[in-house]
Amino acid sequence: MTTPILEIRNLHARIEDREILKGVNLVIPAGEVHAIMGRNGSGKSTLSYVLAGKEDYEITEGEILLNGESILEMEPNERAAAGIFLAFQYPIEIPGVATMTFLKAAMNAQRKARGEAEMTTPEFMRLVKDAGSQLQVDTEMLKRPLNVGFSGGEKKRAEIMQMALLKPALCVLDETDSGLDIDALQVVSKGVNALRANDRSMLVITHYQRLLNHIVPDVVHVFSDGRIVESGDKDLALQLEAKGYADFDGAAA
Amino acid sequence: MSIAFPVRLGAAENALIDQLKSLGADATAERITVAGLPTRRVEAYHYTDLKLLLKAIPPLAQAANAAGVSALDIAGAQRLAIVNGVIQAAPAAVAGVIIGKAEGTALSTRDDVLVHLNGALVEESLTLTLEGPIDHVIQVDRRIEGDAAHAADSLKVFVADGASATIIETFSGSDAAHVGNHATYVTLGKDARLTHVTVDLSARAVSHFATNEYQVGENAQLRTLVVHAGAGLARTHLFPRYAGAGAHGDITGLNLVSDGQHSDITMMAEHAVPQTSSQPLFKSIARGRGKSIVQGKLVVARDAQKTDAKFMHQGLMLSDEAEILSKPELEIYADDVVCGHGSTCGKLDEDSLFYLMSRGIPQAEAETMLVRGFLEELVDPIEDEALAEALHGVIDGWLLGK
Ligand SMILES: Nc1ncnc2c1ncn2[C@@H]1O[C@H](COP(=O)(O)OP(=O)(O)OP(=O)(O)O)[C@@H](O)[C@H]1O
Ligand SMILES: [Mg+2]
Repeated sequence: MTTPILEIRNLHARIEDREILKGVNLVIPAGEVHAIMGRNGSGKSTLSYVLAGKEDYEITEGEILLNGESILEMEPNERAAAGIFLAFQYPIEIPGVATMTFLKAAMNAQRKARGEAEMTTPEFMRLVKDAGSQLQVDTEMLKRPLNVGFSGGEKKRAEIMQMALLKPALCVLDETDSGLDIDALQVVSKGVNALRANDRSMLVITHYQRLLNHIVPDVVHVFSDGRIVESGDKDLALQLEAKGYADFDGAAA
Repeated sequence: MSIAFPVRLGAAENALIDQLKSLGADATAERITVAGLPTRRVEAYHYTDLKLLLKAIPPLAQAANAAGVSALDIAGAQRLAIVNGVIQAAPAAVAGVIIGKAEGTALSTRDDVLVHLNGALVEESLTLTLEGPIDHVIQVDRRIEGDAAHAADSLKVFVADGASATIIETFSGSDAAHVGNHATYVTLGKDARLTHVTVDLSARAVSHFATNEYQVGENAQLRTLVVHAGAGLARTHLFPRYAGAGAHGDITGLNLVSDGQHSDITMMAEHAVPQTSSQPLFKSIARGRGKSIVQGKLVVARDAQKTDAKFMHQGLMLSDEAEILSKPELEIYADDVVCGHGSTCGKLDEDSLFYLMSRGIPQAEAETMLVRGFLEELVDPIEDEALAEALHGVIDGWLLGK
């Protein structure tokens, strides 16, 4: 059996004294797209932050393997270089840091960490131009400071553009569809689908079945109170949409 | 005549008194004998107690070998130098610039010990008259070379009606324990525009004092930037005065302090006539046991209606032991004005740092990007590219150093 891109075993995580992840088990084989749906506050974003290495969380039990290697001891930047990308639910605005400077620094840092040569400026410009036109991120936006003054939808498009440039092994999309208008949803879905590949996996967190019509998942998981309580094929999302979460997690809606 | 309480004089004060007497500046010597150096009880020196901080005064500066390089190389700049208080012969001036000399200090008389000392020590001021739009950046390179010396110098700038220019002043020299007392007096005529940048890159052993006075005329636009990035003890005292309707000042400054450094920017702005505005913006970055002080006072005269002025100070703490102090003050005698002040102080934003690192950028590089980002607001408005690049170099140099 080939090694899955992501394997999470019995993961427990807490913030301060509060346990939020309570035994997550998840395997995403190479090339697959898995969706996670679940109530507000059930711990979906927490899972995405823990994967990306945010330091606020304490891992009390369990293991996270990326391509068979534990990442728990790695810094966020090392995880990124190893292939994890998180499209944030709320991308951060950073005044004073030019978007282009940031993109170049990120791409070159990852290359350097993997022992590859830095890009030339023309090469970089070409890559950015291509990714930008694919995701309808215009050059005027790229001249602004990172995410500053971007609309909600623009921020999400910019996240996927970064993902397209960084070509991660594991894409974690945290509610990338929220705040997108109908056309932007098409653009973003197209961008994400273009990145589907045999050696790349995706974890798509969403509240809406609609996104999954565009980005069709191989597996859908229901997340409740810090763990996965149900898994199924894409029809599970339709059932959830129709019936709500109560049937799956037992709690009253 | 009132009887002053006798002040116990320290070694620095006694040395100053001797130096002043040797120059025949008996009145200034007498002031120091009676009052001593200002302590924290003097409002403008509240956080920079000179009696405490100035332990010794080196001998008066002698003319030194002026050969040497400026601390900052700005491509295409017209360079003028003052070394150990002595104005150096200038190369041919660029079109529109008249270079000259004037007797004594350029500063106005005011009740401030550093101003008095500058007046007593400076024999002649360098003068610059700017007659039209000047394309070249003008650099005034002030250095104190050789053995530890007490040196004073002075620059007087007149920006004629409608003229525009960019002046960068740099302060540097040998790494002895100099005490520098520098003065700049600038007048901006009607519709004049000036960008005036002063950067202290002196050695750590140096005590650097500068007094900058600005008279901003009708519809004139002034942008200033003070950068303290060198001396162990640095203080720049700013006196902008908005004297014509439509006058505007973007008075900005930056204290970059490391362990053991003490930097102070104190501004006393005067809005003297109706319809003037200013946007003072200061930033502090402190690490180790560094100490940064920014004081800003806005004085609005009684008939200076429609004054629009806001003082802002933002601090960034890179260590727990660092100190960033802020003292805004408003003294408003007019009733129809919009004046305010604000200050913030914090550490690097954790969420921003995580965001950058989650894209693969290592922590140190991500921190540097955030610090640069924090300062961009000060450097970005500097239009001359070579100068902006040099300023980025100063900031990066500080970030990489210790
Ligand atoms: N810094 C924190 N301190 C304390 N509790 C926190 C902190 N961050 C998150 N939590 C709590 O952890 C729980 C899970 O939050 P999380 O953001 O992971 O939920 P989510 O499933 O992504 O919700 P949503 O669908 O609303 O995005 C919530 O109850 C939240 O209040
Ligand atoms: Mg969430």
